Amino acid sequence: MSDQGMAGWWMGVLAGAKARIEALALDLAQAPQETAQILESTRASLMSGTGVRGFTYLMILLFVGIAVEWLYWTYAYSSLRAVQSALPESPAQALRLGLRRLVLQGSGALLFTAAILGVSAAFAWPEGMHAFVIQLALLVLALRASWIVLWIVLAPGRAQRQLVPADPARTRSLAIVAMAALALLALGHFVPAILQGAAGAKHAGAMLRFAAFSLATLVLFVAAFIYFGRPRAPAGAAAPQGRADVRGPLFPRSFLLAVLVVAVYAVWVMHPAGAALAAVVAVVIALEIGLRDIVYFYWREDDQPEAALGALPAIVLSLARFVVALGGIGAAAVALDTSLEALAEGDPLARAALRLLGVAVLALLAHGVWIAVRSLVDQRLARISPATPQEPPGPKSRLLTLLPLLRVTTGVLLLVLLVLSSLWALGIEITPLLAGAGVVGLAIGFGAQTLVRDIVSGVFYLIDDAFRIGEYIQSGTYKGTVESFSLRSVKLRHHRGPLYTIPYGVLGAVQNLSRDWVIDKLTVGITYNSDIDKARKLVKKVGQALAADPELGRHFLEPLKMQGVEQFGDFAVQIRMKMKTQPGEQFVIRRKALAMIKKAFDENGIKFAFPTVQLAGGAEAEAGAAAAAARQVLAREPAPPG
Amino acid sequence: MLGGAAVALWMRNARIVSGLILLTFVTGHLSNLMLGLHSLAAMEAARPYLMGPWHSTPGIVLLAGAAIVHILLGIYALASRRSLVVTKTDVVQLLLGFVTPPLLIGHAFAMHIAGEVTPKFDATFGQVLAIYWSFAPSYAIQQVCVVMVVWMHAAIGLYSWLVLKPVWRRVGGLVLPLLFAIPILALLGFAEAGKEVIAKLAAEPDWRAYVTANLGKVAKATREFDALQARLLAGYGVLVLAAIAFLAWRILSTRLQRVTVAYDGGLSAKGRRGLSVLELSLLNHVPHAHVCSGRGRCGTCRVRVEAGAERLSPAEEAERKTLERVGAAAGERLACQARVLGAGVAVTRLLPAFADASAARAPGEWTGQNAAAGAGE
Repeated sequence: MSDQGMAGWWMGVLAGAKARIEALALDLAQAPQETAQILESTRASLMSGTGVRGFTYLMILLFVGIAVEWLYWTYAYSSLRAVQSALPESPAQALRLGLRRLVLQGSGALLFTAAILGVSAAFAWPEGMHAFVIQLALLVLALRASWIVLWIVLAPGRAQRQLVPADPARTRSLAIVAMAALALLALGHFVPAILQGAAGAKHAGAMLRFAAFSLATLVLFVAAFIYFGRPRAPAGAAAPQGRADVRGPLFPRSFLLAVLVVAVYAVWVMHPAGAALAAVVAVVIALEIGLRDIVYFYWREDDQPEAALGALPAIVLSLARFVVALGGIGAAAVALDTSLEALAEGDPLARAALRLLGVAVLALLAHGVWIAVRSLVDQRLARISPATPQEPPGPKSRLLTLLPLLRVTTGVLLLVLLVLSSLWALGIEITPLLAGAGVVGLAIGFGAQTLVRDIVSGVFYLIDDAFRIGEYIQSGTYKGTVESFSLRSVKLRHHRGPLYTIPYGVLGAVQNLSRDWVIDKLTVGITYNSDIDKARKLVKKVGQALAADPELGRHFLEPLKMQGVEQFGDFAVQIRMKMKTQPGEQFVIRRKALAMIKKAFDENGIKFAFPTVQLAGGAEAEAGAAAAAARQVLAREPAPPG
Repeated sequence: MLGGAAVALWMRNARIVSGLILLTFVTGHLSNLMLGLHSLAAMEAARPYLMGPWHSTPGIVLLAGAAIVHILLGIYALASRRSLVVTKTDVVQLLLGFVTPPLLIGHAFAMHIAGEVTPKFDATFGQVLAIYWSFAPSYAIQQVCVVMVVWMHAAIGLYSWLVLKPVWRRVGGLVLPLLFAIPILALLGFAEAGKEVIAKLAAEPDWRAYVTANLGKVAKATREFDALQARLLAGYGVLVLAAIAFLAWRILSTRLQRVTVAYDGGLSAKGRRGLSVLELSLLNHVPHAHVCSGRGRCGTCRVRVEAGAERLSPAEEAERKTLERVGAAAGERLACQARVLGAGVAVTRLLPAFADASAARAPGEWTGQNAAAGAGE
């Protein structure tokens, strides 16, 4: 837009405002005289046969309305009493009760109005009276609806039933002030229409509207500072302090609300047609500002950091924002007296705006899903992460691997979907894009066959729970402790230090040495003249001593026991011992056990057998024969392990 | 004390009986108006039967007596209130009741006394309707308002009295529609008759002259009974103001004496000494059933006194009767009648707070239900 056009537009606006203010001044000047006229003519028309007839019909309508509502309450009153007398334990319960109350009381008010409006059609009203009656009935409905909603939402005097965060000591006055403002707005809306329709009093109506709206603005302006100005009451402040990420508002709320009120008023004064739209925008902004507090109000009971609250508040918040925004758009459409369809068929600018709106809706939806997934994943992660790095990862370590993967994948997927559907919503043809992506995908797929195999088999390893971080595994020639794994490969740390990086595709069968339990067997040779039973008892004692050991004892699943004689060897009775321990602990235990057995056997006269050669004959031959026998034995002995 | 209790019971009955007498009269009057839907002649034809009896001396005595008794009892009831805790319906009924005499006195005087002051005044429906519809529409509007005021007052009173009775199950379906059909049809009859009268006034100049002449006669007498009317209204106003002043004094003089009552479920209520348990409940938003809104008729507010029975006002005749009717056990009281005179009172509410009129009609069902719920807990 050129400077010239901009200036012209502003001049147009200002000229309109000037004309409007002049009209208001004229209204103000004319109003007193007109008011006197109206009063006189009303009196005259009421004090006549037709006036009496109209009034009688009005009373009949009132009777009809009361009768219908009375009948309704004979059925509904005990439900209402039940709702009123229930004491909600949480804000969520209060919300449910409040909604039920809204339905019950709202139905009563609606029935009253519907009965009056329906029956009013049956009468032959004096001139202009019918429109008056309809406006009056609508005015009464608006007042009653405001009353019902305000008293349910703020629940003056009953802090447990409040549906919004507010200082319970001030809800009563807040409800009264809000009711006053709403009543003024309703009066300003309906009464001038009544005056204009029934008495043709244009100026008086306009003056009344001006006075009512100005007063309502004043009330709201003052209320913004009184009720939203101070920092929240200590009672309410205690809960947010517990939340780690509580943020101060960027702008003082009271100031922002006051600006909104004044802005709507200014728009109304200068350009009445835009006032409804401005009001809708202002209400939407005000709601969006307060929505976070309102939504989190329902989870205030759990005095926990926000992360622990779970995904629900975040989802509800984004949904609520979404609903408020949509409601605002709907209300704006009503205010502008135009349907969205008409907009869509209208000028290109409106069409583009509508499409952008579609994109916004999609973005909100994607945002909601993203928040849901992310906070669910984060919450799970926070719950299963080991408290200290030293602690061995529990059985949930698989999730520890999978969940971040899931989070990233979902994020990417959502982003791609959002981009594609946004392009589609903007009217950009995405079929070629999809086809192109398909071809490219195929090409990459062929090229990256191994990569795909790695990734897919990796996912299956994780699903099979073949290994977890911190476990010692063996696969083919690779063995070591699992240090980390990625989408494509697993990293194994050999116990002597080397780090293997093995793509899942070549991992093959996995032997997991760290699962559940291990059995270790020990073989000891004792001399043939040793007492086997004694040896058994001694081993049992050693086993008991080990099980009672403050450090090693807890690793035992079954204590050390002597199973019995395994074999009669050449020079020793081979006895076999067995123990069941936690995986990875057997080596230390084994060393200690052997040392203890040695000590115990030595002290109790049980001798360990070793190859001995018994010779008969001369000393020379002795030496040579001994050496030969020793060689013979040594050759038979298996190589020491390790 | 027993004498006082008997008087209280008598007053309660007198209020109902006088109210019923007045209601009978109003119903007859409105039924007569209904005939306006047919014709003015039909109204005239039915007048001796529907209105006539009330014009005889016993009729007038009965009617005036009932009106005076009802008004005085209303003022007395206002003066003997202990607090402003009332249900919305009660407020509506009270206000409607107190605006009735000023609104209605003009009509009553015009119809009864005008006939005696001006010997030849002929209070036919045609006459009066002609005056209302053509010569003094402000009176007509006032009368239409009176129909609303009186009838709503009566409807609330009748409904809240009758709904507690077992007979309501049988007659309720008939009474409730009638309660609204009567005034609606009467006002329709009034409107139709008005049309007829206006047409007749235009069509028959003779009749118009006759009505005008009659109106002149009444106008002459007006000044005389205006003075009387003003005096009566002033007296009524003084009585009402005195009752309000008495009530205000009573509230203000006891405002510093506070008592606390403990309820089941760990609730408690705080308030002025001398208030009834029910009033304390309602003041403190303690859920408490009160179908008859504290008149001691329904028995739904009854409580078992757990502690401090001697610091409650003793049960009077009316309360004992109600307790007996609903089959209350010993140690139970009506919360609306038991006034708290000292600290340390603890009670258990026996009916759920959402008990409705059926609990008064068939007390057994609700207490049985309550006991079952208690056992289930």
